[in-house]
Amino acid sequence: MPKDALHSPETLLDVRNLSVDFRTPQGRVKALRDISFPIRKNRIVGIVGESGSGKSTVLWALLGLLAKNADVMGGEVRFGDRDLLQASEAQLRATRGEEISVVFQDPMTSQIPVLTYGRQMLDILYRRPNVSAAEKRRLAVEMLGKVGIPDPDKRIDQYPHHFSGGMRQRAGIAMALLTGPQLLLADEPTTALDVTMEAQIIHLLQDLQKELDATVVVVSHNLGLIAELCDDVVVMYAGEVIEAGEVREIFHNAQHPYTRALLECDPARIDDVSRKLPVIPGDIPDLTKPRSGCIYAPRCQRALPVCHETLPPDVARGETSLARCHLLDGLHHDPSWPPPLDVMTVGQECSAGTKPARAKHDAALLEVSELNVQFETVGPLRARLKGLSQRHVDAVLDVGLSVAPGETVGLVGESGSGKTTLGRCVLNLVPSQAGSVRFEGKEIRNMPEARFKPLRRDMAMMFQDPVGSLSPRKSVRALITEPFQIHGITGVDLDAEAERLAEMVRLPKHFLSRYPHELSGGQARRVGVARALALNPKLIIADEPTAGLDVSVQGEILNLMADLQAEHGLGYLIITHNLPVVRHIADRLAIMYLGRIVEEGRTDEVFARPVHPYTRALVEGVPQPDPDRRRVHVSISGEVPSLLNRPKGCDFAGRCPFAQDRCRAEKPPHVTMADGRRHACHFPLG
Amino acid sequence: MLYYLTKRLGLSAVVIGLVVLVLFSLLHFIPGDPATIALGPRATEEAIARYAEKMHLNEPVWRQFLIYIGNALTGDLGLDVFSDRPVTAIIMERICFTLALVGAGMGWAMLLGIPLGCLAAVKPNSWLDRVTGVLSVGTIAVPSFLVSIWALLIFAVQLRWLPAIGAGEPGQIGDQLMHLILPAFAIGLSWVGYLARMVRASMLEVMGENYIRSARAFGLQPRRVIFGYALRVAILPTITLIGMGFGGMISSTVFAEIIFARPGLGKLIFDAVMARNFPIVQGAVLVATGLYILVVLFSDILIAWFDPRVRESL
Ligand SMILES: Nc1ncnc2c1ncn2[C@@H]1O[C@H](COP(=O)(O)OP(=O)(O)O)[C@@H](O)[C@H]1O
Ligand code: SF4
Ligand code: SF4
Ligand SMILES: [Mg+2]
Repeated sequence: MPKDALHSPETLLDVRNLSVDFRTPQGRVKALRDISFPIRKNRIVGIVGESGSGKSTVLWALLGLLAKNADVMGGEVRFGDRDLLQASEAQLRATRGEEISVVFQDPMTSQIPVLTYGRQMLDILYRRPNVSAAEKRRLAVEMLGKVGIPDPDKRIDQYPHHFSGGMRQRAGIAMALLTGPQLLLADEPTTALDVTMEAQIIHLLQDLQKELDATVVVVSHNLGLIAELCDDVVVMYAGEVIEAGEVREIFHNAQHPYTRALLECDPARIDDVSRKLPVIPGDIPDLTKPRSGCIYAPRCQRALPVCHETLPPDVARGETSLARCHLLDGLHHDPSWPPPLDVMTVGQECSAGTKPARAKHDAALLEVSELNVQFETVGPLRARLKGLSQRHVDAVLDVGLSVAPGETVGLVGESGSGKTTLGRCVLNLVPSQAGSVRFEGKEIRNMPEARFKPLRRDMAMMFQDPVGSLSPRKSVRALITEPFQIHGITGVDLDAEAERLAEMVRLPKHFLSRYPHELSGGQARRVGVARALALNPKLIIADEPTAGLDVSVQGEILNLMADLQAEHGLGYLIITHNLPVVRHIADRLAIMYLGRIVEEGRTDEVFARPVHPYTRALVEGVPQPDPDRRRVHVSISGEVPSLLNRPKGCDFAGRCPFAQDRCRAEKPPHVTMADGRRHACHFPLG
Repeated sequence: MLYYLTKRLGLSAVVIGLVVLVLFSLLHFIPGDPATIALGPRATEEAIARYAEKMHLNEPVWRQFLIYIGNALTGDLGLDVFSDRPVTAIIMERICFTLALVGAGMGWAMLLGIPLGCLAAVKPNSWLDRVTGVLSVGTIAVPSFLVSIWALLIFAVQLRWLPAIGAGEPGQIGDQLMHLILPAFAIGLSWVGYLARMVRASMLEVMGENYIRSARAFGLQPRRVIFGYALRVAILPTITLIGMGFGGMISSTVFAEIIFARPGLGKLIFDAVMARNFPIVQGAVLVATGLYILVVLFSDILIAWFDPRVRESL
C-alpha cells in the first residue's frame, strides 16, 4: 500500500514486511513472504484468499499465538507505538482480549464445552479487579443481549451445547466484544454456518462495528461475504499480498490477474448457467520451494517470460490501492490490461458440452413418494418415566421426489433439514416408516440388504469428504478399484479398470500410485468421483460434492460431473446447501425444511421466482460478490426449530414474514401449480 | 438423572446378586459337606450338626440362598466359624484400615501424578517430561508387593525411620499415620506413573483443542488456561480410570496388608481363606465388591458433575 497511507494517523495496525516460516518434516513452509498492509481505523478490512494462502497465519501472528513450529522470520506489526512482534509474553497477554480480540471460525469447537457462558465471560474480564462480580455479570448479560441472544440473563448460565450454531457464533462475538477492544479479528466467522445464519451474522458484525466504533478484520474465502461486509480488501495468494484496495476497487476494477480469475470463478457471479464454470488451472505452489519471480506465474494466463524470473513490482493506484504484477508498470506495462469486466480472462478448461438434450418423458430412474423416516428419540422405558407420549421425530415427512436418467436434481436445505437422511434412506441405509422408493420402477424401500446389494452397483454414493472417508494406507489405484472388491466382482483386470477410471475423471496415470494425503483437495474429490463411477452406476447421490473446495477447483469438479453425465446419461441427486452451485448444475431443485419438501421445480424458475417464502429467503440469503448489491436487511430471522417441537401448522410459520393465523393452525398441503412446480404454502408468493 | 441413578443402582444390585451367587455356589456346590468344609476336617460331629442347623444347611439350596440374601440385606452376613461373632462386626472393624490405606495410596498418587502429567504435557520434551516418562514406565512395571517388601526392608528394617508392622495404636492418630506411610507408598507408587501418563496423554490432546487457543486469544493467564480449562476437560477420562482402578487397588492392599501385617479387609480375607473360614470370606468379598461398585458409580457421578453434556444425557 502507498507509503503515506502507512504512516497516516488513521492507521490502527500496520503489518510491515512480515515473514513467517513453519518448520515441518518436509522442510520450511514459507507461509508468509514479506507481506505488508495497513488496517485503517473504524473500517472493516477483509483478507481474502484460497485455503493455504496464509490468511489465518496472519491473524495468529498479530496475536503472537502462532503454532509452536512457527518462526517469525522478520517484519513488524505496529499497533500504536508498539511492535507486537517484539512485545513480551506478558505485554501480549495484556493486549489479547482487551485491545485485540477474536471471533473464531468454528463456534462448535472453539468454546469450552464444560463451562457456562457466564463463567467464560467472567474469565475474560479477569483484568478488571475493581469491577464487582455482579457488575461483570451484568456487563456480560448486556453484551449477550446486544448480539441478539434472547433471554440473556437466563441463557448466560447455559453451556455452549445448549446453543445452536448461529447462537454460539453470536455468543462468540459477544465474548470478543465484551472488553470493548479496538480491533476485532474474525477468522472465517460464518464458514460453519448455514446461509440464513450467515446473513444474520454479517449484519450483526456490520451493526456492531458501527455502534462500537471498532475496527474489524475479517478473514474469509467467501467473496460474497467480503463484498457485503468489508470496506477494504487484502487479497492473498500463496503467502503473499498480491493486491489490496477499497472494496469497490477490488470487485469492480481488479488489477491483478489472480484477483480477476478468482472473481470470475465464483459461481455466484456467473449468470449464464448453461456455460461451464471457469477454473484456474494448476494448483497452489509448493510453499517449501523458494520462489523466483511472480508467485502466481505457473498458473497465470498472462505470464510473460520475465514473470518467472523477476519479482513483480508493487504498483500503487491512488491513495489506497496496490497490486503486484509486471503488467501494471515498468517495461512490461500493458495498457490493455485489465480488460473490461465482461471479458473473461480465465479459460473454461473443456469447452462445448452444454447439457445433453433429454427425451422429455423418460421413465424416472428414482421415484420417491410420501416417504416418511422417523427416528426414535427416547427409549420406551424412559418415555414412560418422563411421561412423554411422542417417542419419535419425523426426520423426513411425506417427501416426493424423482430423478430421471441424465437429470440432475438438487436437494437444498439448511443443516438439520433432513437432506442427508433422505439420501441415506434412498440407498437403504436408514429404515423408513411409510411411503415408497422406486428404482427403475421397482419398489426398494426397506429391502433386505442381501437383495439390495446388487442394486448398490446401480446407485452410488459420493461422499462429502473423500480424504477423510478413504483409508489413508491404500493407494489411489486400490481405492478406485475397491468397489469391485466390495461387490466381489472377479474376472476384471483391475489395473485396466483403474486406468480407465483415472482417465474418466482426468486424473493423470502417475497419480494411481499415490496415497490420499499426497492429493490436493480437487484431486481427492476426483478419486471420490472415480470410486462412485467404478461400477457404472445409473444414479449418483452426491452429498455436498464441493464442500470445502476453493472456488478455483470447485468448477473443475462440477464441470467433470457435467461431462460424465453427458457421456453416460447419469442421474444425479445432489445434496447441498450451496445455492450458487446447484443453480449451475441442477435441472430441478427440491427445497427441504424440517424434513418436508416445501418447494420443487425447475432450477431457473425457482431462482427467478421463488413461490415459497423459505425458498426466497434462501435465494436472497446468498451474499452477492458485488459491493453495490449489498442487502440492507436480513430476509428472515430466527433459526430452524428442533424436530422435537415441530410446529402444528406450517413448519416455517415461526420465521415466515407472511405468516397468518391459518399458517399456524393447519399444515399446508403440497400443491402442484400450472407450470408443474410444487409447493407447500398457504399463501404462495406471486 | 433420577432415571439414570435408578438404572445404575438396579444394575449394581444385579451384579452384587451375581457375586453372592458365585460365592454361595463356591461353598455349596464343591464336593463334600458344606459344614465340614466350613468347619474344617477336624470338626466334631456335634459342631457340624450345630453349624448345619444354624446355617440352615438342612433346607433346600435355593432357600439357603434366599435366606442368605435376605439376611445380607438386613446387614447380617452370618457368624464367624471360630469366634461366633457376627461377620458384619468383624468386617466393620477392619474396613476402616483398608479404606484409609486405599485412600492414602490413591491420594498421594493423585496429588503427585496428576500435576506431574499436567506439567509434562504443558512442556512436552522438557527435562520434566522426560523424567516423568522414565518414572512412569519404571513404576508401572514394578508390582506393588515388591515395592512393599523393599520399602519395608529399606525404611523400616535398615533405616528404622518408620514402623514396620501393624496399623498403630488405636486412638493415636499420629502413630496410625506413621504406620500408614509405607504401605500407602507401596500401593500408590505404580499409580503415580499410571496417572501421570494418562493425564499427560489427555492433556496433550486437549491442549491442541480450539477452545484452548480461544482462551489464550482472550489473554487468560497460563495458569487459568492449564488448570481451569485444559485440566478440567482432560481429567474426565482419568476419573474413570481411577474408579475402575479401585478394584486393582484393593487387590494390592491384600499384599500390602499381609506384608505389613495390617489388620485390613485384605488380610482378613487372606487369613479367612487360609483357615477355611467361609462366612468371613463370603462376607468380606461381598463388601469389597459393593465398595468397588460404589466407587465406580461415584466416579461416574463425578464425571457427570464435571461435564454438563454427560449430566444432561443421563
Ligand atoms: N502449524 C503449521 N505447521 C506447518 N505448516 C502450517 C502450519 N499452519 C499453517 N501451515 C501452512 O501454512 C500455510 C498457510 O496456512 P493458513 O494460514 O492456515 O492459510 P489459510 O488460513 O489462508 O487457509 C499453508 O500452506 C499451511 O499448510
Ligand atoms: S507478474 Fe506475470 S505471472 Fe505474475 S500475475 Fe502479473 S502477469 Fe501474471
Ligand atoms: S404457509 Fe404461511 S407460514 Fe408457511 S410459508 Fe406459507 S405463508 Fe409462510
Ligand atoms: Mg484459515
